[in-house]
Amino acid sequence: MAEMTTSDSGSHKKGGKKVRSKKMSTRVDLTAMVDLGFLLITFFMLATTMNKPKTMEVNKPAKEDKEEVKEPPIKMSKTATLMLGARNKVYVYVSPDEIDATTEITLDSLDYSPTGLRKFIQRRQKEVQQQWGDKDQLFVMIKPLPASNVKNIVDVLDEMTINDVKRYAILEPNDPIDSLIALRTGQSRK
Amino acid sequence: MPKVKIPRKSTSVDMTAMCDVAFLLLTFFILTTKFRPSEAVTIDIPASTAQIPIPDKDIMMFQIAPDGRMFFGLDDQNTRLKLLDRLSTQYQLAFSEDQKKAFRLLETWGMDIRSLPEFLDMEPEKRAGFNQPGLNIDTTGGQHQVEDLILFSRQENNNLRIAIKGDKTTEYRHFDKLIQALQNRKVNKFNLITSAKTAQE
Repeated sequence: MAEMTTSDSGSHKKGGKKVRSKKMSTRVDLTAMVDLGFLLITFFMLATTMNKPKTMEVNKPAKEDKEEVKEPPIKMSKTATLMLGARNKVYVYVSPDEIDATTEITLDSLDYSPTGLRKFIQRRQKEVQQQWGDKDQLFVMIKPLPASNVKNIVDVLDEMTINDVKRYAILEPNDPIDSLIALRTGQSRK
Repeated sequence: MPKVKIPRKSTSVDMTAMCDVAFLLLTFFILTTKFRPSEAVTIDIPASTAQIPIPDKDIMMFQIAPDGRMFFGLDDQNTRLKLLDRLSTQYQLAFSEDQKKAFRLLETWGMDIRSLPEFLDMEPEKRAGFNQPGLNIDTTGGQHQVEDLILFSRQENNNLRIAIKGDKTTEYRHFDKLIQALQNRKVNKFNLITSAKTAQE
């Protein structure tokens, strides 16, 4: 391809001239080899960069030893609780500081889309901002129920990053309210 | 006017240098490519916006299949051997040289530790087709196999990071068992492996 025939090759067609054996050139046409080389390069280049997975760091609160002093409880009005349930549903509630028999907690069931969970977190951030003057005071408790799946957890952690929630933790559903909710939504807690 | 003779130039280009470069690059890419290791089970990882690339070495990888089976893998072959030594003393199993060699090349595996020798004795082809039952995470018999794996591996290589590769659809209860095991061994930090995606508005 890189070489063009410059001599007239059609000469011996015309008459009964003697066919002289041509002196063979020692040059080898490398075009095909280069083609192949670049083809393979392209393949390996694509193969290397494509499958580099990312990781997401997860820090779990340390399991507390029994002798350890418990941390002072956080004000419930700074928190939001997300319970991850089955069938890609997330149940959210905000519990007031003091709970008595007359307390009513509204429970929302949302999905993981930007219009669902993200809206809720942003709304809650605004509320905390108004009440405490700093939206980073918001503490999100993530409580996965056994029937939720890994994708749900990744999605929720993702929302934390996207909305820049500084404080969050993955916890076990251990609150009495959690049990109630698990019961109401027909999911086992443990 | 005198005729100017234009010498006829050959159109052939010397390809040698180009060929050299091409193959040099090719060699480079071949050597740097890390092929995906053979997996005991196909795992479809979830996508996230996380940007941290997975470290290249010192990885302890747990894989959790959708059905809850769990698999274990270390990236470094020497650490694998050391781990096997520790396991053989802990579980009173004797491993032959052939079995050790087979274990050294084992990317991921998931079964009761006590059935390892039998598995390592299989022909490589048969081993690839063998349906592994998953790690024994059940601690009711007083055994803590997964915790032992975590402890021994970390003792042999201090810099090990823990990566968890869970399928999208793996239920949290399977995932939770592993986290409990990790936390019992004072590991509170681990990495979830995800594929990249961009946040949608």
